[in-house]
Amino acid sequence: MHWSDRLQRFDRRWIFLIMALAIVIPLYVPIGLPIKARPMTKAAFNAVEELHAGDVVLVSMDLDPASTAELEPYYRAVMLQLKRKGVKLVFATLWYQAPPLVARWLRETVDVAIAPPGTPGYEGLPDRAYVRNQDYVYLGFREGKQNIILGMGANLPGVFGGKTDDGTPFADIPWLRNIHGLGDFKLMVLVSAGAPGAKEYVQFAQNRYDLRMVAVTTAVSVTDLAPYYQAGQLLGIVAGLAGSAEYEVMVGKPSIGVQGADVLNAGHGVVIIAIVLGNLAYFASRRRKK
Amino acid sequence: MKNTAPVLLGMVVGCYMVVEYFIPHYAVRDVSAHVLQWGGLVAAAAYVMGGINLVQVTWPKIRRREQDWGYKVVLLASAAIMMLVGLPWRALIGVRAPGYAWKLAPSPELARRHEARVLVEAPDDVIVAIGTATARDNVVAPGEVAIKASRRPIGYDAFETKLVLAPGDVAIVAADPQMQWGASGRVRTWIYDYVFAPCNATMFALLAFFVASAAFRAFRARNIEAALLLGSAIIVLLAQAPIGRWLTTSLPHLSDWILDILSNGSRRAIIMGAAVGAIATGLRVILGIERSHLGGD
Amino acid sequence: MTPALGPVDLLGAWIAIFLTMAILSFLYGDNPFYKLAEHLFIGVSIGYIVVVQIKNNLWVKLERPLSPWDLVPAILIAMMFVKLASRKLAWLGRFPLAVVVALYAGQSVTGLVGSDLGDQIKTASRSLIVDKIDLNSAPPGELSQVPGVSPAIAAKLVIERTARPFTSLDDALSRPSLTASERADLADERGLLVGTEARAATESNRVDWFGVASGVLLLVALLTGLLYFYFSIAHTGVLGRASRVGVWILMVGFGASFGYTVQGRIALAIARAQDIRGTFVSPADAAQIHGEVAAIVSSVIIVAGIWIWERRRAGVAAPGEAS
Repeated sequence: MHWSDRLQRFDRRWIFLIMALAIVIPLYVPIGLPIKARPMTKAAFNAVEELHAGDVVLVSMDLDPASTAELEPYYRAVMLQLKRKGVKLVFATLWYQAPPLVARWLRETVDVAIAPPGTPGYEGLPDRAYVRNQDYVYLGFREGKQNIILGMGANLPGVFGGKTDDGTPFADIPWLRNIHGLGDFKLMVLVSAGAPGAKEYVQFAQNRYDLRMVAVTTAVSVTDLAPYYQAGQLLGIVAGLAGSAEYEVMVGKPSIGVQGADVLNAGHGVVIIAIVLGNLAYFASRRRKK
Repeated sequence: MKNTAPVLLGMVVGCYMVVEYFIPHYAVRDVSAHVLQWGGLVAAAAYVMGGINLVQVTWPKIRRREQDWGYKVVLLASAAIMMLVGLPWRALIGVRAPGYAWKLAPSPELARRHEARVLVEAPDDVIVAIGTATARDNVVAPGEVAIKASRRPIGYDAFETKLVLAPGDVAIVAADPQMQWGASGRVRTWIYDYVFAPCNATMFALLAFFVASAAFRAFRARNIEAALLLGSAIIVLLAQAPIGRWLTTSLPHLSDWILDILSNGSRRAIIMGAAVGAIATGLRVILGIERSHLGGD
Repeated sequence: MTPALGPVDLLGAWIAIFLTMAILSFLYGDNPFYKLAEHLFIGVSIGYIVVVQIKNNLWVKLERPLSPWDLVPAILIAMMFVKLASRKLAWLGRFPLAVVVALYAGQSVTGLVGSDLGDQIKTASRSLIVDKIDLNSAPPGELSQVPGVSPAIAAKLVIERTARPFTSLDDALSRPSLTASERADLADERGLLVGTEARAATESNRVDWFGVASGVLLLVALLTGLLYFYFSIAHTGVLGRASRVGVWILMVGFGASFGYTVQGRIALAIARAQDIRGTFVSPADAAQIHGEVAAIVSSVIIVAGIWIWERRRAGVAAPGEAS
């Protein structure tokens, strides 16, 4: 059998094995190439850097466990950036899969300091543990997709019954009393795995309430959202795992994202080699048959 | 009536949603707030209905011992368990206080040293923080001391209180946070963390392998269009990973340029075209011309 | 000091790893371990969804004071459930469907006009003449758009130019108030086509020619793309050639999309590997879980199980069975 025919009949399980090795080996033998932020990521970073202490920021956590791979590194980095700036945070979610994930992440990143003074390998400003219902609130999950987005735009307290997820009335939290709708937030950080998410916020609320938003999104959605970034409807986009790694470097605390981006070198290499080899085999076979 | 009434109702709701956009009056906003809630409530109820429907569809298969009926038993059993552990059982069991703090007789020795003492009585797996200290026997400075007791896993009550200690005071903190039930309970969170989340993530992770296989077996540059697609894919793939910049610093710039100019240009056309299509379809639904979503008789 | 993982959570971690390997076994082929994990996942998902929707959306509504408006969703929901119970009254299920679809239709009509048409047309209609950013007069917000210039660097440049105007790009990017790492970042972004030389100047009204060419190409991409999707006229002649250009540009865009998609998919697999390795937990927890060992043990169990299952399926007696 000619090599091109043999290659085209290759059992795909060998490809699965090669991909598995390409993912696992760099975790133990890191390649360690430097990471440099791209313009969209820098724009997202700069938008957050322009905040001041006391500004109120909405963090919309629209994700599921499957998307944590791409979104969690950014989330942890931006939490450090927001907390060291001393902004007030309002968390909410539109995805039913998110609440237990959000509860755990709040516990791990907001209720405690991510980078207290003396953190090894970190030279930026330290952050501190935030206190629930004083420094941040968690509003909870509501079903309804763009209905909820529109509702939050017009009357945010009304959507959540005027209470946070643990039953604390908005009226008991001084800095929350001035938040009537999405337009009252200084910035919105959208941690978005799909629909409803960044695209729905742009389509149904950004234009209507003139919102300032940055988004981290799974890589799949980047080309869909890039036109909105170019039009200024999004101030910045962090694109998947690679973008999250860039963001970690910009914040000054490289972590799981940088490690994951390192593995992308091998993973992408496998796919590129697969495309090239597959085409070589196809064209060789076609020429032989002619 | 069976077909016309729903269409008429849809027309009223749809027209209202269009008109309310242009009327900023607070009375209209109040009505809109209620109308928008309807969508969310009906959607939430639809999920519940889906769960019931699943039982309706699966149970007959188990009863008839159809192929793979054993797996269907696992499906229903796991659904039932996940629903049951999500109920607020503490309404039946009762809620006990997660902890107590009280003062004993003051110690003259501590008073002389201008110190206070806090003793902790709690199971080994309970983390008790006296200010920032976490030992079981703490000598602290007099004044207000924040006390927090919790268990490590999510799904337990937390005990928080503040004690004002004078010099010489000896206080005891006894804590045994109770397990929570319900949506944020211990068992439900455990199943979410160790069954739902890994399965959800791994199901999608399979795609990485299929993408590699598809790249090898199916992506052929048979014509100019396919060659352009593959060419730009390879450039973007290389540029995404750090290796792209390592190969040449021009690669990330080229990838960004492809995204900013060529991809955005074509994507903008798609967005605008899709928007026109969605608006046209929306108008057809509102005007009652489009009725396929309502089904036949 | 954080206590060690309890036995229940340790067992949970091992179960998670076993389920991960069971689902990955699908790569070999459909098998009972995968089917078990799949059905377990579906069941748990359904149980989870039902409770979360009731607790966060329906029960929460009942806890608040109700208004007459709340009769409407109550009736709609009742109609939806009647559909489950009675085939004769199933037509009642059309009402909630009509309301929800009309809600989304009305929102689309108003929302998409502004965001997907208005703002996109506004962006596409921008002037094609792209001037370089004048470092001596641009406000800080505009200076931040120069490659490599962060808001902090922009603020420094504003102070520097007030003291002494910039005479050249080299002069501007080597002022003493810039730190060594800032200068290194700026040096990295120098370039004639898309770098600092292309985007910035020290005088006004200098044209960024590559930017102009890119802007023209962007407009061509948009127009030819729109032409391709216009099916009311046959794609012949000039229109045909234009739509062919549109297809080519669309293909380049889809290629970029594919590149990002691959990144996304591989990232999912990377995260599973990191999870098994214990990257997302503390080193103490990872040392307790022994993720790699658990993965290997799970794999051995699954491989052995699949081997036995395949042999039974093929009708071959397993060793040790009486013939």
